[in-house]
Amino acid sequence: MAVALSTVLEDAGTGRLSERRSEPAWLRALRAEWARRAETDAWPTGSEEEWRRTKLDGLPRDGALLNDPPATEYVIDPAWAARGVIFGSLGDAVRDHPDLVRAHLGQSRTAAPQAHFWARSLATWTAGTFLYVPVGVVIDEALTARTQLPAGEWSHFPHSLVVLERDASATLLEEFSSPDGGATWYGGTTDLRLGEGARLRYASLQRLGDAAWQIGAQRAEVGKDAVLTLLDAEIGSAVTKMGLEVRMSGGGGTSRLLGILAAGGAQRIDINSTQDLLASHTTSDLLYLAALYDEAHASFYGLTRVRPEAKATSSYQECRNLLLSPLAGAEPIPVLEIETNDILRCGHGATAGAIDPVQRFYAMSRGLPADEAERMIVRGFFERVVAQIDSEPIRARVLAALAARIGSEESDDSGEVAA
Amino acid sequence: MALPNPNATHATPGGYRYGWHDTDKPLHIFKKGLSAETVMAISRIKDEPQWMTDLRLKAYRHFESRPLPTWGGDLKGIDFQDIFYYVTGTDRAVQSWDDVPDYIRKTYDRLGIPEAEKKYLAGVGGQYDSEVVYHNIRADLEKQGVIFLGTDEGLRRYPDLFREHFGKVIPANDNKLAALNTAVWSGGSFIYVPPGVHVELPLQAYFRINTENMGQFERTLIIADEGSSVHYVEGCTAPAYTTASLHSAVVEIVVKKGARVRYTTIQNWSHNVYNLVTKRAAAYEDSVMEWVDGNLGSKLTMKYPSIYLLGERAHGEILSIAFAGDGQHQDAGGKVIHAAADTTSLITSKSISQGTGRTSYRGLVKVYAGCKRAKSTVRCDALILSDEARSDTYPYMEIDEEEVTIGHEATVSKVGSEQLFYLMSRGLNEAEASAMIVNGFIEPIVKELPMEYAVEMNRLIQLQMEGAVG
Repeated sequence: MAVALSTVLEDAGTGRLSERRSEPAWLRALRAEWARRAETDAWPTGSEEEWRRTKLDGLPRDGALLNDPPATEYVIDPAWAARGVIFGSLGDAVRDHPDLVRAHLGQSRTAAPQAHFWARSLATWTAGTFLYVPVGVVIDEALTARTQLPAGEWSHFPHSLVVLERDASATLLEEFSSPDGGATWYGGTTDLRLGEGARLRYASLQRLGDAAWQIGAQRAEVGKDAVLTLLDAEIGSAVTKMGLEVRMSGGGGTSRLLGILAAGGAQRIDINSTQDLLASHTTSDLLYLAALYDEAHASFYGLTRVRPEAKATSSYQECRNLLLSPLAGAEPIPVLEIETNDILRCGHGATAGAIDPVQRFYAMSRGLPADEAERMIVRGFFERVVAQIDSEPIRARVLAALAARIGSEESDDSGEVAA
Repeated sequence: MALPNPNATHATPGGYRYGWHDTDKPLHIFKKGLSAETVMAISRIKDEPQWMTDLRLKAYRHFESRPLPTWGGDLKGIDFQDIFYYVTGTDRAVQSWDDVPDYIRKTYDRLGIPEAEKKYLAGVGGQYDSEVVYHNIRADLEKQGVIFLGTDEGLRRYPDLFREHFGKVIPANDNKLAALNTAVWSGGSFIYVPPGVHVELPLQAYFRINTENMGQFERTLIIADEGSSVHYVEGCTAPAYTTASLHSAVVEIVVKKGARVRYTTIQNWSHNVYNLVTKRAAAYEDSVMEWVDGNLGSKLTMKYPSIYLLGERAHGEILSIAFAGDGQHQDAGGKVIHAAADTTSLITSKSISQGTGRTSYRGLVKVYAGCKRAKSTVRCDALILSDEARSDTYPYMEIDEEEVTIGHEATVSKVGSEQLFYLMSRGLNEAEASAMIVNGFIEPIVKELPMEYAVEMNRLIQLQMEGAVG
């Protein structure tokens, strides 16, 4: 029961889309190639392990493709351009740096559960961020890309591509939001490519409206001795299905995956993560924290796979769920598949439960009203992730988004974190 | 309520060891393969009531219509038409001691298993002489009103009690393999413990060795009435040899208000066996259900003993231990369903994979909305002993209630070189040192086993580590 991709393609027409956007022939061919893959990489049937907990029946499929999405606001000191850094929209990069984009765009494939949506995005993207950092360039400020999407019904499949060459370093926040009420289908995808010794701090902050569906994918390839810190903050949307895949393909690489989920109403958040340890001496840790209000429901199906050839690896998966209403629910499923005995450290932990009544009592005995006490405890619950965001502007954005969900405290306008 | 002498052939019509009491009946109708006719013939030969025949047929149709699971282990090697679904003693007896694989015979010798018992375990006849002990226990139980019979006999002698509970905890259409068992079951134990009765000694299928405890499709039903307690032990640590490639049992347990049941299994089937077992207990108010589940043998085991906590304050525990050597896959674990308030559970799993072995922990903790103050802790540890071995953990959790405390933790590790160095510097060789570390690793579970099992378990691990057994 695949959604007729042909409908989308006919409407957008990968060829006509390219034409309208005056794209070069190679890109037109690339879109067509991914459109073909989107047809062969099947739409989930719902019986796949990764798709059992999110059914796509309610997905709003009728919205037209956003051909001219609103411009993203890119913030960077122009001085970096002189050092070869490229930061802006993917469309502009195609025009201004075709060879560079061509060398990296659409070169990565994802695991089967996300394959269809990855392909769809590469075939039909009309927006997305491109960041390129040349060999040895260390950007010591946080770059931000913020997009305010329009109201109404639409579908949108932006693709972001981040390439860090050898020993390059960067920090990037991508934030996107949309007004409440629009039955939209947001299918953004992100491809992070870290060369040898590169260091990337990447944060994605999702603040879609309360009727939006997000079917997203983020993928990272971590090269030799490279270090990735990835923050996935999911605050908005009616339904979010996010597939995260980190391939530790270079020896000595490190990845830290952090997740913040704050959901209320009838929100459904379903995360699939894959930490694929393919090379020796790699490290991959994951920490997802979910606070669930009202009738919100979070599923987490995470897989750590240690391949036979990956020796002396360390990995951990941790998923904690704070249930703040009798009708909230959580399904944490941290899976391990370990194919070698030469491991330094491997494990996982998962919990689900309400606020510890002792904590609540303690806070209230200090004179806090019940709702403030709860807010403070929730804020404290997220602190383990928030404390790891070492860029001040990014941390302020994440806290502001969180405040909208968990309630604000007076210290918010100062941008300071309640310690 | 005199119980018949199990040595008398009429006592065990369903058993394979002594054949069929009516020797005029032709046995050759049981060829390999499964059909509605086979199912009806099994029921007819056992002279069962109509409802059981109907249930068997219904289950058979369900088995036919349901696909094989695609998760877990690789089941493609099973040919359901290449299996005898009803085997009589005379068929079994043709096996000879010479046919028993070398690695199994060697293990018996190393474990010091007595001659008679060896032959029994190897399925080549012989009689394990436990009759004296068995009779004493039986007389004692009888006085207290405890029923401890083969399942076929249970159906004949206690039809109402049997029908009230059979297939209620695990319905015929629960899963494909449970459906198969319901269609062709034979043998197993039927146990009823009256209200307030505490059975002091563990009831062991071991003692019922002359009847039918090691059947291929055995069916066990245990009912512990209010405030009673019983410990049932199935299987044994020494390897059990069978030529049958599929073992598919069903075990149903009803733990009534305030009762306590512990069910201990040590499975050590020969490495040609697919061991696909459904075990489930329904635990009511204030009751305690414990599964102690050890998996050492078989080619592939898929077994997840489960507990449905249906009454307030019911408590469930699952202790699971798995050892997978070359070519083996142990896909084991447990499930706890919290369906009442103030229920608590604890799952502890220890698995060890060696050679090309693979262990998988697969578990589920589910809490229904409204089951306030439910608490569950799951703890899984895996030890990988060789470079080619593999270990997986699939812990499912479905939590639909806020006021709960649910936790899961797992680690995967290898034997540390510092640990080995320390022990070897004290004069142990590498195998002894590894065995000691492994024994320490499984100790929390072994200490829950009856003494004779614990001793054998430790020795078995040692043999495995020396590479002396397959």
